[in-house]
Amino acid sequence: MSGRAPSRTERESRLLQAFVQLADTLVDDYDVVDVLHRLVDHCVQLLDATAAGLMLSDQRGGLRVVAYSSAQTHMLELFQLQASEGPCLDCVTTGEPVLVGDLSAETGRWPRFAPRAIADGFASVHAVPMRLRRETIGTLNLFRHETGLLSDEDLLVVRALADTATIGILQERAIRRSEVVTEQLQTALNSRVVIEQAKGVLAFAGDLEMEEAFHALRGYARNGGRRLADVARELVVGELRPEDLLTARHRPTDV
Amino acid sequence: MAALRDRESKLDTLARVIRACVDVLPVDGASISVMSGPRERETLYASDEIAAQIEDVQFSLGEGPCFEAFATRRPVLVPDLPQASVLAWPVFATAVHDLPIGAIFAFPLQAGAIGIGAVDLYRRRPGWLSGAELSVALEVIDIVGAVLLGLLLGEVDDTDGLRGVLSPGREQVHQATGMLIAALSITAEEALARLRGHAFVMGRSLDEVAKDIVSRRLSPLDLGT
Repeated sequence: MSGRAPSRTERESRLLQAFVQLADTLVDDYDVVDVLHRLVDHCVQLLDATAAGLMLSDQRGGLRVVAYSSAQTHMLELFQLQASEGPCLDCVTTGEPVLVGDLSAETGRWPRFAPRAIADGFASVHAVPMRLRRETIGTLNLFRHETGLLSDEDLLVVRALADTATIGILQERAIRRSEVVTEQLQTALNSRVVIEQAKGVLAFAGDLEMEEAFHALRGYARNGGRRLADVARELVVGELRPEDLLTARHRPTDV
Repeated sequence: MAALRDRESKLDTLARVIRACVDVLPVDGASISVMSGPRERETLYASDEIAAQIEDVQFSLGEGPCFEAFATRRPVLVPDLPQASVLAWPVFATAVHDLPIGAIFAFPLQAGAIGIGAVDLYRRRPGWLSGAELSVALEVIDIVGAVLLGLLLGEVDDTDGLRGVLSPGREQVHQATGMLIAALSITAEEALARLRGHAFVMGRSLDEVAKDIVSRRLSPLDLGT
């Protein structure tokens, strides 16, 4: 949450920074889950959103959250709910952006999601598809405290970020081979499970909130140039000890 | 004895699920294997002789798509095996040269860090699956994964919804699993088994118990037997 809209030059420089950083991460042995987390963080900063999240198709007709800017439980539940109704599901089903400037007008359309989002303090929501040719593989979801639609310019930024996320997941080689989409999506979904298990390990061992646990995990992976999912697995199976990560925690967060 | 019969009937169910999968999808055979150790696995069921051979050859040579899926824990999907395997797995390619195998799709079964096993599909002619076929295959794989996970953890009853553990929206179950691992110094499998056991004994759902642990209304130490 930035608290105020960034100025134009500030934003341009942040935008540039975002794309350079994302491009840098897309090297051979890159970390998909980390790339997606960086992306939702950029969304929050660039677009003055309160929260952002990224949901991927599980290729069984369902949706799963793989990255979210805030690990607070109520936020997570708001994404989980969207597996059955809400802007993310509508966006993935139609392949079109779902732009809602005033959530209070949509309680008929989303009888469970809309009141829940309003109760959590949100007034508007946007969902932009992650598309690969005719297939929609996921959606980028923005929540804001204020009512109102994103400007056309902001919408362009969200679309560009969503396209970058798509490339991040699939890599160039994948775009030509449809079975690689499945390999990458299924692997990303399992990585998410390992990361949640690892967050639990750290949360108990260090008496941390889930969000702090995630930052500790990510900080450790980044400092060592390791993949988030690899570090998470080592922690869960006991090859790494929680203390290894907790004592290495120099900065609380480096979003 | 009852446990053994139960296991037998579960294995029989799995075999039927896999045979139905072979009937419905454009594949000619399939096999199920379980992880019996970090580097060991065991074939539970193969729908035909070729499916059995595909497994045997790879795990004795130590290469091939199913072996790679097992070792890297990622799906390895090879729609054109004759073309791909010469480069990627030359020894395996030579060994299966005379067998009618056009494509192999190897899917590891796992719940985060918990390795469960794998489902390997093969077809005689090369080719990938359509979107609808893929979603059927993934559903079948989820079912097999849930049944095997149940066997791995020890069944508490038949309606404890393990299928959901591998499905969307169960983040708190995974977080709670992690908290139990740290609190009780146990493996992920054991942690998940205790969560289920506790839920069963208390007559509550796995999700409710997980949420109580994550929100610290229930201490993971209370599940330490």
